[in-house]
Amino acid sequence: MELAKKLIKVTVNGEPRELWIRQNITLLDLLRDYLGLTGTKMACISNSCGACTVIVDDMAVKSCSVLAMQVDGKEVLTVEGLAKDSKLHPLQQAFIEHVAFQCGFCTPGKLMSAKALLDENPQPTEEELRRDMEGNLCRCTGYQKYIEAIMDVAQHPDKYGAKEG
Amino acid sequence: MAEFRVVNKGVPRKDSIEKVTGQAKYTFDVVLPEMLYAKILRSPHAHARIVNIDTSKAEKLPGVKAVITGKDTQGMRFGFVDTPRYPCEQPVIAEDKVRFIGESVAAVAAVDEDTANDALDLIEIEYEPIPAVFDPEEAMKEDAPQIHGEQIPAPGRKCAWQDWGVARAARSYNPVNNIGATVNIGYGDSEKGFADADYIREDTWVIPRTSHAAMEPHGAVASYNPLTGCLDVWLSHMGYELKRYWISKTLGIPTSKIRVHKTFVGGAFGGKAQVFDHEIIAPFLSRKTGKPVKLILPRDEVFTSTNNSIALKINVKKGVKKDGTIVGQHVKLISDMGAYRGSVPVCLFLCHSMRDAIYNIPNLTHEGVGAYTNKSTTMAKRGHGSQQMTTAIESQMDWIAEDLGLDPAEFRLKNLRQKGDVLPNRDTLNSYGLPDCIKKVVEASNWKEKRGRLDPGRGIGLAVSAMFNGSGYWPFTAGSIVRMNHDGTVTLYTGQAEFGQGPTTTICQLVAEELGLNMEDVNLVDGDSELCPLDYSNWLSGGMFVSCKAGLIAAQDLKQQILKIAAEMLEEDVEDLEMLDRRVYIKADPEEGVAFDEILRYSIQRHGGDLLIGKGFCKPVPEIEFYPSLSKGSGRWTDAYSFTASVAEVSVDAETGRTKVEHIWVSDDCGREINTAICQGQLQSQAVMGMGDALFEDVMFSEGRTINANFVDYEIPRAFDVPEITTIDASDPDPNGPFGAKEVGECARAAVIGSIVNAVYDATKVKVMSLPLHPEKIFRGLAQEAKA
Repeated sequence: MELAKKLIKVTVNGEPRELWIRQNITLLDLLRDYLGLTGTKMACISNSCGACTVIVDDMAVKSCSVLAMQVDGKEVLTVEGLAKDSKLHPLQQAFIEHVAFQCGFCTPGKLMSAKALLDENPQPTEEELRRDMEGNLCRCTGYQKYIEAIMDVAQHPDKYGAKEG
Repeated sequence: MAEFRVVNKGVPRKDSIEKVTGQAKYTFDVVLPEMLYAKILRSPHAHARIVNIDTSKAEKLPGVKAVITGKDTQGMRFGFVDTPRYPCEQPVIAEDKVRFIGESVAAVAAVDEDTANDALDLIEIEYEPIPAVFDPEEAMKEDAPQIHGEQIPAPGRKCAWQDWGVARAARSYNPVNNIGATVNIGYGDSEKGFADADYIREDTWVIPRTSHAAMEPHGAVASYNPLTGCLDVWLSHMGYELKRYWISKTLGIPTSKIRVHKTFVGGAFGGKAQVFDHEIIAPFLSRKTGKPVKLILPRDEVFTSTNNSIALKINVKKGVKKDGTIVGQHVKLISDMGAYRGSVPVCLFLCHSMRDAIYNIPNLTHEGVGAYTNKSTTMAKRGHGSQQMTTAIESQMDWIAEDLGLDPAEFRLKNLRQKGDVLPNRDTLNSYGLPDCIKKVVEASNWKEKRGRLDPGRGIGLAVSAMFNGSGYWPFTAGSIVRMNHDGTVTLYTGQAEFGQGPTTTICQLVAEELGLNMEDVNLVDGDSELCPLDYSNWLSGGMFVSCKAGLIAAQDLKQQILKIAAEMLEEDVEDLEMLDRRVYIKADPEEGVAFDEILRYSIQRHGGDLLIGKGFCKPVPEIEFYPSLSKGSGRWTDAYSFTASVAEVSVDAETGRTKVEHIWVSDDCGREINTAICQGQLQSQAVMGMGDALFEDVMFSEGRTINANFVDYEIPRAFDVPEITTIDASDPDPNGPFGAKEVGECARAAVIGSIVNAVYDATKVKVMSLPLHPEKIFRGLAQEAKA
């Protein structure tokens, strides 16, 4: 059955958008298919892998399990919005220097989860971090270097450039 | 070379920026104008005749552009193995019958995914179910349902090896009692070995199917141009040559008209090496509709319809002298192959060959059989064969040591081969870091103090493994080109597949080191079949030893060309020159020199326009023309072996039977580490993957149906499950490796699994005899022990 399209207003990576969308699409569909932001990945579509994690109003969410209608009036940040003014976010820089990723498929989701965590809890313990990142599956790395990179950013906020608010 | 500038350092990856910014385009990120979306209808029956298919309603649905069935792809066959002995037998779409739940029976291309899914619901299929068989031993009985009732191969069909120059035609046969693969390898006389033994032990293990569970699901985008006859494809793959060959062979499009574009690949682990039905269906639908077609598999289809790792029942009988000298071994394997052969014939062979470099066993028999069952196909997964065998062999080594009162580490050291040994198949151990791996891991883990002295419920275990460094299979070679640019940088062309393991970074390090350049001076063109030289790519861990070496040889070729021109310009001998930072200088007078860009200009002006382009080729096992025999194991296999020794410390909760891995030590001989961070990452990766194999991964079936085809019911390790991991470099640089390097991506997983299995036994004295070590199995074992 064809549902009537609805208008939503959403700010994506700082850019205000007005979009007519089908009501049954997910936030993941909105980002990838409507806006062409393919940095956000999909590995399970069942809310269990974390590859599609984005930040909605400061909270990390799995975009495959959020309806696009639910972000009406909200701010969405994706991996494409992390680097500002041609400067990488400290987490991105730390991931590179720690050689944290391998295939890179889960990396955008991990960056977004880590950013949301550090924004809320800038000094997590390693155990808190591992608990928090439990929703972000990775098959390549064994997680070790990701955890080291994120802990490095938390413990040395100035090392990878000043952390933007 | 005393000191390295770029090699043996943890430099950042070449693909860093793309991967942290979301710019990296994976197959399912590819969007083309007017692109259609395809979906595959899968069989709900494990074994059934297809009586009738009615696609008329689906075809009438608005937005549907094509519906195809087995009639459209009639006669097309594919498979991972397609040799004269083992001709392939898998249809692209099921024809007269289906052989497993999840087999493709029809496919649809439509304007969007929803329409394609709706169309699948409108396809009406009349099936006539026939008895199915799911257990390999049942399948081999006289009265079992015959899964392949027809002649293999179809009359007149040439097998892949014939296309590649093997003179023998495919053996035509009709599988008897569902037997689809056999292996029989031996040397010495195992019966005589047992007669000489003071002690004989026999154990049987069951290793389940597991999922590769690469994060990126399988998929394909295909775009056929009817005017040029050219096909462009984007695939999630581990090497384009074989994929391109199979698309060409099935669809009859010349390979030179098929271009496999570079995509980023979201993990593979062996599970994306073979060609799949969907990779042929997407181009087929594109050719039929004249539009680009995208076909991405949902996760449940990755589980049910691509492939799992290979399930084996492994029986090992070993004869040992009182002093711990192994004198005989007899291995019997039974594989639950699935409906088509997959890579089982290779695995049965590798179960022997992957471990033959470890222990010196004078009398050995290795027998194996693969039986067709009504399940999906099975395939190589990281350490193909080694992973399964290592669990069986290494646990038995511990039990023998226990029975004979030997220290498990000393017992292993006593039976190792030695550096310089020539194996029965004539492979030579030019490097052999295994003794060092064991010694270092024993020391680092405090093995001697901990063994037998840990608190109740805690245990420690050791296991060792080995891995090939590439082997002889199509296309048997790798090529590389290094071109000098006008600004004095170079561009490297390599056909290697980068699926996370890092070869495109390490090959650039080799080139930079050789030419005195920095990493940013090496531009990279990789993974595109039209732009890059032929490359056999990264299976059986040949990425470093073969493909990266080709890059180094190309750099050496370019270096000689540069030096020759520079010598002419500087009026010096080549031997008196050195190069660094895009410049050649005189060793005795480093101020005197010429820049690379000047050298290129000079070459063009004075040498008839000559550009400076280096080329390099490398063939695995150059002595052999084609490939080793899979069924007899005869012939050379590989040029070098990597080795791992792993120790695990675990605690087991007696109340629940649940195992917690506390610490894993991985000591690895990967030759000289080219990128230290990537090497460490590969070892950590395998430690964690091996922990999943040991403790919880198991693709479960009920009457042929996969019952845990998702990441909730099929657990893979998460960040919080991961124990402390210590990686130890025990490298023995190989004289034939690039700067002494060997593989690092596959060897360790098997040793880690074995070490956890042994640690759990040490903690519980429960012999589980099947993976994974589910809490339930341990709990039952502990209860039985308490009763006894």
